[in-house]
Amino acid sequence: MIKLRVGLLLPCLILGACGGNLTLPPLGDSRSGQTSSSAEKNRQTQASAPNKRKQSGSDRAPFGSSYEAPPSLPTLISNVNVLTGTGEQLQGVSVLLQSGKIVSIDDAELPEGGVIVEGNGRWLTPGIIDVHSHLGVYPEPAIPSHNDGNEIVSPNTAKVWAEHSVWPQDPAFEKALAGGVTTLQILPGSANLFGGRGVTLKNVSSITMQGMKFPNAPHSLKMACGENPKRVYGDKGGPATRMGNMAGYREAWIAASAYRDKWAAYKKKGKSADAPDRDLMLETLAGVLDGEIKVHNHCYRADEMVNMIDLAREFNYKVTAFHHAVEAYKVAPILAENDVCAVVWADWWGFKQEAADMIRENAALVHAVGGCAIIHSDDGIQTQRLLQEVAKVMQAAQVMGYKIRGADAIKWVTSNAAKSLGLENEVGSIEAGKNADVVLWSGNPFSVYTRADMVWIDGVLQYDKQQPGLRATADFNLGILKPAEDRP
Amino acid sequence: MRLLTIIGCAALGLTVGAVQAAQPVLIEGVKLVSASYRTDPAVDVLLRDGRIAAIGPQLSLPIGARAIDGSGRVLAPGFFNSETHMGLTEVNSVPGTRDEQSENDRVSAALRVSDAINPHSTLIPHNRMLGLTHALVQPESKTNLFAGTAAVIQMADQDTVINSAAGVVVTLGAQGSKLAGGSRAVSMALLRAAVEDARDYAANRAAVNAGRRRDYSLSRQDLAALAPVIRGDIPLIAHASRAHDIEQIVRFAGRNKLKLIVSGAQEAWRVADLLAERRVPVIIDPIQNLPTAYEAIGTRLDNAALLHSAGVTLLFTGMGWQNTHNAFLVRQSAGNSVANGLPYMAAINAISRNPARVFGVAGYGELKVGSAASVVLWSGDPLEMSSSVEAVFIKGEPYALQSRATRLRDRYWARYGTSN
Repeated sequence: MIKLRVGLLLPCLILGACGGNLTLPPLGDSRSGQTSSSAEKNRQTQASAPNKRKQSGSDRAPFGSSYEAPPSLPTLISNVNVLTGTGEQLQGVSVLLQSGKIVSIDDAELPEGGVIVEGNGRWLTPGIIDVHSHLGVYPEPAIPSHNDGNEIVSPNTAKVWAEHSVWPQDPAFEKALAGGVTTLQILPGSANLFGGRGVTLKNVSSITMQGMKFPNAPHSLKMACGENPKRVYGDKGGPATRMGNMAGYREAWIAASAYRDKWAAYKKKGKSADAPDRDLMLETLAGVLDGEIKVHNHCYRADEMVNMIDLAREFNYKVTAFHHAVEAYKVAPILAENDVCAVVWADWWGFKQEAADMIRENAALVHAVGGCAIIHSDDGIQTQRLLQEVAKVMQAAQVMGYKIRGADAIKWVTSNAAKSLGLENEVGSIEAGKNADVVLWSGNPFSVYTRADMVWIDGVLQYDKQQPGLRATADFNLGILKPAEDRP
Repeated sequence: MRLLTIIGCAALGLTVGAVQAAQPVLIEGVKLVSASYRTDPAVDVLLRDGRIAAIGPQLSLPIGARAIDGSGRVLAPGFFNSETHMGLTEVNSVPGTRDEQSENDRVSAALRVSDAINPHSTLIPHNRMLGLTHALVQPESKTNLFAGTAAVIQMADQDTVINSAAGVVVTLGAQGSKLAGGSRAVSMALLRAAVEDARDYAANRAAVNAGRRRDYSLSRQDLAALAPVIRGDIPLIAHASRAHDIEQIVRFAGRNKLKLIVSGAQEAWRVADLLAERRVPVIIDPIQNLPTAYEAIGTRLDNAALLHSAGVTLLFTGMGWQNTHNAFLVRQSAGNSVANGLPYMAAINAISRNPARVFGVAGYGELKVGSAASVVLWSGDPLEMSSSVEAVFIKGEPYALQSRATRLRDRYWARYGTSN
């Protein structure tokens, strides 16, 4: 196995091969001697109270969400230019957030007791959605003790759930929030044919994973094509080749189909029959066959994407999205025809052979043929500025002679992303009735000089550049950051 | 489009290159990159014989010169990324394409990356057409604290390496501790031994060759490669993140009268005054704000701004880990440093003038009469992602805005036959 040396990279690309023999300094007194600012205290009270209540209740399903939006005052964001996420650009409107929802756009008046935020002509967008994140499962610092994203023990680990690795204290979450990221899909790594279940989180401060978990969001199944599985398992019994990869998927789906049939038969018979044994791995795969779990498939090469679409046809499931789809542009019409999203970087390439054929216009070509393009990060640095990644694709497309409006391109990190997570009715656009996840930007959202000024999730102000410490910083930072210090 | 076509033809022509001097070019009515370029008057810029021959209003078009319309556009020095493996890797996972590490413990400082740099790498046209004209090519430590000898390249078809001994790279911090054997203090002990041995070797070569000298901690070749470092002719480029590691190496360099550059330097802001006082430049990626390691726990987005205000010379790399295949993205890191408080021209200088001065690239990095015509014409602000490169010149030579990626793009875009 080749050990890649690519700096700070990327659990998903190098399969958590980072490691090293770091000797950790003792944490010692780093947790003492700090006093929270009042803002911090307020926020902590706000955030933790509902969690406590819900967690103590018996109505919550195992591993189910305990998130409840804290109460918030009606908020009118006045005089803003809006990229709605639905393809529209509105000038000088006012957006009203109330009871966690977007209530109205344009003709809103401030209800009594509400607060007004003067937009002064700034830009408002939907909260940014990163559909490929490893925050929490590969938390900072990137030490071996934190390598919880890739269950590199078998080609099929469909049994594992990324949420069981999520460390809510990952100090990278709050950095993503400052970049406008309100929703993240946390995926397991890509060493395995079947990597496990992904989970969708709200980017809120919580002591528990359950407190971040997006209520009622479907699970995803992470699958991986190509180089990674065959490299990792080539000398461990296989798969050793791409054809071995395909055989591995097919065998698993055959088993899952049989498992699903067995359970269907049992449910038909009712309580009289003996229940079949549960199998966590097959349960996940059967969830895909039942349409309850969405397939998010790491797949770089065009030819492999089409093989995977055929595989899905063979076993009658749907591929929701190909991730890291560096060659999506080569089969963009096929992806569009099959309603499969292409989840891509703006420009990453060259770290392995299947990432050699990158073009900077990839997302634009997918978009041009009517497909679903999504820009993802896979990286804690990149996730903080996803709109710059969108801007790079728009620029490259323009040079090619294809002009894409910002109002359309922003779908790549908002509504298209929401659709791929099965959350298109909840988030991803600024429309009446949607969750009040919005970002107010200091300038043109696509400019390198622009930063998020304010970020709301479910109508609650979670980030305000003017109020450091509004959101409690990760426990990890105590004793490292000064109270309420704004260390960007 | 007209411009692209002309440049394309010129660069694809058979005679361009060393055989004859490039055609003079007059860029008309262009803004020169500066903090105030938006309100500055536009000027004409004449590129001739590889240099900026004239700058002024209403220059006349010399006979045989080609005119380019610069209106609405911005001219900047080609950018410089100060930490890359350009020419030392093609596909990272393909070992046969990689040359940045020595796995032989008899070759450390003596690894000269210039011996291995591939001037025909596909990474060079890709980064060049996106605005990068220069790079520091650094080796990387694998088995020894000393990684090797770095080189400066220009992203040209010929004479790619312009300084084959730009500095010797040493790895400190956690990685250095691992290589040295268990402690940062071991790294410093080895460093002291290496400097003493290099001095001794330089002063007693004849005795060494006659076998009348003690054993050394490094091979003779490695000690020879350290000779210009101990003379203070070229810098030691030390990779260190933690503030205290930076302080240690700065004081060590001071005691031993070494020229020093600190690379990585996530916590440099904590020791900014010391770095400024000792005139130690730093190579940083200003977007690094995640505590990826315990030694980088103080990392922050305004590291660049804090260092600059203390008077430290900044050299940038980036963006993120794609600092070789997409070395051109150093401009994105620079743009984000401005978003986090660095003055605009300080960011531009960190990717042009400063590395030119630090690594002795004569004439490059500024837009002055007499400077090298290694310049890039941008559709707008060169730090904005929405801006496009419209022309690239290296020493006056125009280069096509083409790469393997644009060939792939054109093939598939043509198939989708769009009406746009």
